[in-house]
Amino acid sequence: MGMSLQQIVFGVLSIISIISALGVILSKNPVTSVLCLIVTFFTIAGHYIMLNAQFLAVVHIIVYAGAIMVLFLFVIMLMNLNAEIEPQKRSWLKYAGAISGGALLLVLLAALREASVSSLQPGAVEIGLISNLGKTLFSTYVLPFEVSSILFLSAMVGAVVIGKKEGHES
Amino acid sequence: MNALISTALAGVVMMFAGLFIRNKQHIKFVAIAALLIVSVANLAELSTIEGGSRTVLGMVTVSHFSILFNAIAFGATLIYFLLSGSAFEKVGEHVADYFALVFFILSGITLASSFSNLLMLFLAIEIISIPQYILAGSNKRTPKSSEASLKYFLMGSFSTGILLMGITLIYGAAGTFNIEELGLGNGDINPLALCGIILLAFALSFKVSAAPFHFWTPDVYDGSPTVFTSFMATVVKAGSFIAFIRIFHGAFTGTNISAHWQLLLSLVTAATLLIGNFTAVFQQSVKRMLAYSSIAQAGFMLFAVISMNKYATQGIILYAAAYSVATIGVFAVTMKLKDYTFDGFNGLARTQPVLAVTTAIFVCSLAGIPLTAGFFAKYFVLTAAVQQGNLLWLVVLAVLCAAISAYYYFRVIIAMYFKQGEPATKEEITGGFKVMLVITAAIVILLGVFPGLLLNLI
Amino acid sequence: MPVQYYIFLSIVLFCIGVMGVLMRRNAIIIFMCVELMLNAVNLLMVAFSKMWADAGRVDAAGAQIFVFFIMVVAAAEVAVGLAIIVMVYRKSQSVDINIMNRLKN
Repeated sequence: MGMSLQQIVFGVLSIISIISALGVILSKNPVTSVLCLIVTFFTIAGHYIMLNAQFLAVVHIIVYAGAIMVLFLFVIMLMNLNAEIEPQKRSWLKYAGAISGGALLLVLLAALREASVSSLQPGAVEIGLISNLGKTLFSTYVLPFEVSSILFLSAMVGAVVIGKKEGHES
Repeated sequence: MNALISTALAGVVMMFAGLFIRNKQHIKFVAIAALLIVSVANLAELSTIEGGSRTVLGMVTVSHFSILFNAIAFGATLIYFLLSGSAFEKVGEHVADYFALVFFILSGITLASSFSNLLMLFLAIEIISIPQYILAGSNKRTPKSSEASLKYFLMGSFSTGILLMGITLIYGAAGTFNIEELGLGNGDINPLALCGIILLAFALSFKVSAAPFHFWTPDVYDGSPTVFTSFMATVVKAGSFIAFIRIFHGAFTGTNISAHWQLLLSLVTAATLLIGNFTAVFQQSVKRMLAYSSIAQAGFMLFAVISMNKYATQGIILYAAAYSVATIGVFAVTMKLKDYTFDGFNGLARTQPVLAVTTAIFVCSLAGIPLTAGFFAKYFVLTAAVQQGNLLWLVVLAVLCAAISAYYYFRVIIAMYFKQGEPATKEEITGGFKVMLVITAAIVILLGVFPGLLLNLI
Repeated sequence: MPVQYYIFLSIVLFCIGVMGVLMRRNAIIIFMCVELMLNAVNLLMVAFSKMWADAGRVDAAGAQIFVFFIMVVAAAEVAVGLAIIVMVYRKSQSVDINIMNRLKN
């Protein structure tokens, strides 16, 4: 076999991520979709570790699997959507969606097949370590870091504006 | 930078204003005062810039052009606050929060006019978008508003995903996020770069509601509270266009690559002009007509993106000012009426002559009639395209579409002046509102006669 | 290992997300598909970061910071988005985007 251990791990992780990603869009039960998405997120974290992005792998698990998907599960259970209540979409619309997504896939794959990019070296690089990322974030990227606070303020205001019941609401 | 910092601070001030000020009328005055301070801070930076532009931390490049555009966005917002600020109270209870969100959108727009890094482009687009989703759903009394919000949110985050894929592919080709160092299109075309630019063009067309990515626009603009539709369709749209122009004129100018996206965007422009104008003809509601006409106007603004010369930069400045001010004016008058259909305007000239005259001026400007600001705006963007060469077919199409647009814009004038009716207003039209309308109309005519007032500042 | 592998994997995941957005009509599932698209982008960005680091670029860590920002913004977007979805559900007892169209006409 001409495959290195790295390639075998990559292959297994990729197959699991693609199958579980398909599970997200094909499953009829929203709770199954959420669980499939969590599996996809874990495989992506595995890819991050293989790519020497250790800090991102940890943050990814904490933010996506830990916070975002739990919120999704809460909302789904709050609405009692765990039953298969989604009526079937008119089938031609469904096929149109699948065909246009597939067309995009084919176009991108065909275009990027010839892209001249180098190979990844097996050796470890230091860039993904927390001390290096911290230095970069607070030196070169300090302005976007501050600017993102505007985004959070508006999300915070938005949660209040949208979530709060108003007196005259029916 | 002054503009970015002061708008963010003004947003925070508005959040606290809601806590301490009980009188909703006073909140509006605080917002107007804050906006005046923001405008002054923005113009004060003009003197500190030497040599055309100043780069801050490699992320933001402040130039005369960006300061001028910020000034136009703030000026249009000031007119919007003065004309429609009192309508904020009728949407819901969180008046101060709505003003805060408007200020946050403005800080996103200042970022869009000055970013020099793809990360800042992403943040600018998100800071502009997220408050809009919230404003669209702020009217809790009607399900239409919440649905508009949900639709806008889903489509908006979908397009953000496409934008990010574009940025990633461009990074794969160039190895940097700094738009001055990208250096694409000199030499062989990297397929990664080409795919990235196309995805970026799609995502930004989506944000400016260009066809065939416009389908969310009519429903969202129709469902949102009218006072916020007025802001979204004008100042915000101009802000998205500035982001579009900055990235495409700043980074993708290489001769090998620009031909590709210019062809793509000229097809998008043609589709936008045709779809926007032809569907606007069939609308019965003025609010929906304005939603479709905003698509049609986006088609004209796209000319400034396709053609890379100095007429294009002048044209987008003039177009942003002319289109925003006139549309804010028409929306302000529409909001005073009970009936948003064309029939609701019947006989307005008899009962409210001031409203009728100013609306006629705004509508003429939107149609591009000479002596109004809209004429020179259209003239400059089309001249830019003519100078570019090989776009004559598109210019001819645009002129034909401008003729079609006159039909649905003049329907408003015909309803006001030549039809009988008793237009019912929601409330008493105050003298102050009339004065503001007259001043706004005067600005439209002033820019139509002396466009140099704005253009000499670049 | 060639970077091409990662490009193909992310493009496949991205397009599965796009298909999901176009095919499904449950607002929550559509939103989850958007998250899937963002993750495909993140994965590709990290792969490119490694590629440019191997090529000797000192600023390759910037791409990982970008991914960090995408995660951060996605978290804020989820907070707003789920609030909107819950609000719509309270109004119409449904998160089906087609039913909304029927209400409108």
